[in-house]
Amino acid sequence: MTGVLGIYNYWIYVILMMIGLYGVIAKPNLIKQAIALGLFQTGIFLYYISMAVIDGGTAPVWTTVQDGAQKFQGPYDNPLPHVLILTAIVVSVSVLAVALALIINIKRRYGTIEADEIEAMDIADRLAEFHAGAAADAVDEAAAEGHGLEHAHGGHHHG
Amino acid sequence: MTSVVLIDTVLLLLVTVTAIAIIEVRNLYTSAMLTSVYSLLMALVWVNMHSMDVAFTEAAVGGGISTILLIGTLVHTAREEKPLKVRVHWKAAVVTALTGAALIYGTFDMPRFGDPKAPIHHFRVPEMMAQTVGFVNGTKGKQAPPEGFDARAYRSFNGAVTSVPDDPKDTAWRETSVLAQHGIIVPEVLGSHPQHAEAGHHLHPPDDFNGHVPNSVTSLLAAYRGYDTMFETTVIFTAGVSLIMLLRRPRREGQAQKSAPLLDQTILRVVSKMSIPFILLFGLYVITHGELGPGGGFQGGVVIACAFILYALIFGRPALYRVLPPPVIDMLTGLGVLVYSGTGAACLLLGGKFLDYSMLDTVSPGEGEALGMTLVEYGVGITVSMVMLNIFNQLAEEESR
Repeated sequence: MTGVLGIYNYWIYVILMMIGLYGVIAKPNLIKQAIALGLFQTGIFLYYISMAVIDGGTAPVWTTVQDGAQKFQGPYDNPLPHVLILTAIVVSVSVLAVALALIINIKRRYGTIEADEIEAMDIADRLAEFHAGAAADAVDEAAAEGHGLEHAHGGHHHG
Repeated sequence: MTSVVLIDTVLLLLVTVTAIAIIEVRNLYTSAMLTSVYSLLMALVWVNMHSMDVAFTEAAVGGGISTILLIGTLVHTAREEKPLKVRVHWKAAVVTALTGAALIYGTFDMPRFGDPKAPIHHFRVPEMMAQTVGFVNGTKGKQAPPEGFDARAYRSFNGAVTSVPDDPKDTAWRETSVLAQHGIIVPEVLGSHPQHAEAGHHLHPPDDFNGHVPNSVTSLLAAYRGYDTMFETTVIFTAGVSLIMLLRRPRREGQAQKSAPLLDQTILRVVSKMSIPFILLFGLYVITHGELGPGGGFQGGVVIACAFILYALIFGRPALYRVLPPPVIDMLTGLGVLVYSGTGAACLLLGGKFLDYSMLDTVSPGEGEALGMTLVEYGVGITVSMVMLNIFNQLAEEESR
């Protein structure tokens, strides 16, 4: 195969990967991000399997026909990428499962699965913590000051 | 070849359109169902490229399990994406466009699709196949190399192939290439070649060469990449354990006793009850048959998990727990990894290397490789099926709270 068709598969692999990458960056929804990550992975799978193809080849299962007229004379496709991707697919579903479990835990804690809302809540929490801390510090300071004053200077403050 | 390219072109266009729809559609249920369609199309693409084992896995995992997991999660998270303020995220679009352009620029240096001269078809392939069929290191119980076989030249083969003609239909070069000289890549060509038949090479290919494991994908998976496969099984095991740690809570009484909502659907109940035994049988067949044809532990394990998940969906999880109590599922998850590594350890104790299946020849003469690979496939199958079932159970438990 020559010309564009010769590298067509590799273009599609790039396009699929980029669709996945766009989803991961642009979509704030965590489940959408997990799905987009899956698309990214299938792009890579396509790249590997496309490389294994050989002109006129067939599935790499050695024929065991010993005395048949229709012995297969041609080459077999390269089996190594198949092995790599076969295990990668099963690992990808494990990745998806763990991601979904984490998303469920996030939903429990935050009540939402939109990344920007979670971030806003985190920032709000931290600000509240900071303000509460500052307020507590102020109270402590005031209390300490009050105590000190009471003991050292008597009713100076009250007066 | 033209038909392969033609089908490939059309299918990949459909795949791309589906991928865009998956990302763009706002309803998450639609998105999850579209991933199932996407996986089915991908499985067709793999079949078209003669990658049967991958197609099998994609259909079982992508079309089946992932969709179930996604929908199980959507039930208690969100139905729809929040509407976005801007339709197109311009920063992301620019980043992906630039990355994509760089990668596409890179593809111009790739060998053409299906080019027999591509380095991937030559570099290290002989070593790999030789190690798989097991005569290079010549340990005890291995087959003797064919007469005139030079193991040293074989190992130092650098992948260079001289004089490959431009016409792919001209296969004569393969008989003279280093790859084929010892009947590794195209055994039949050599077997029918009178010159080699005289030298006695026809005795070896194709059956004896492969230690009775004709599916080279399985033999590579279990022999050449045996360690990788073992640790990939461990990765799946770890995923199952993390799911338990992330989601499992102490069960309160009376909570799992919910009646199954689908049980009063007569057609569903009868049809699923009739088909479950056959699904299980098919799963076992796929695992056992993995060394002879497409299939193996990963695919068969997923098929078996699907049978149990179907049972749990129709008859309720309490019914499933009567068949397979959660502690048994947990134990079986570990047992699969134990069977795999135990097979390796058995080879070690019989005097060979770890996962050197030819050592099992003392147990069943002449079929050690096949026996070892079958054991390993069963180990993978047990772990995969039980982890998938466990993941489903954890997500479903979550649902009933």
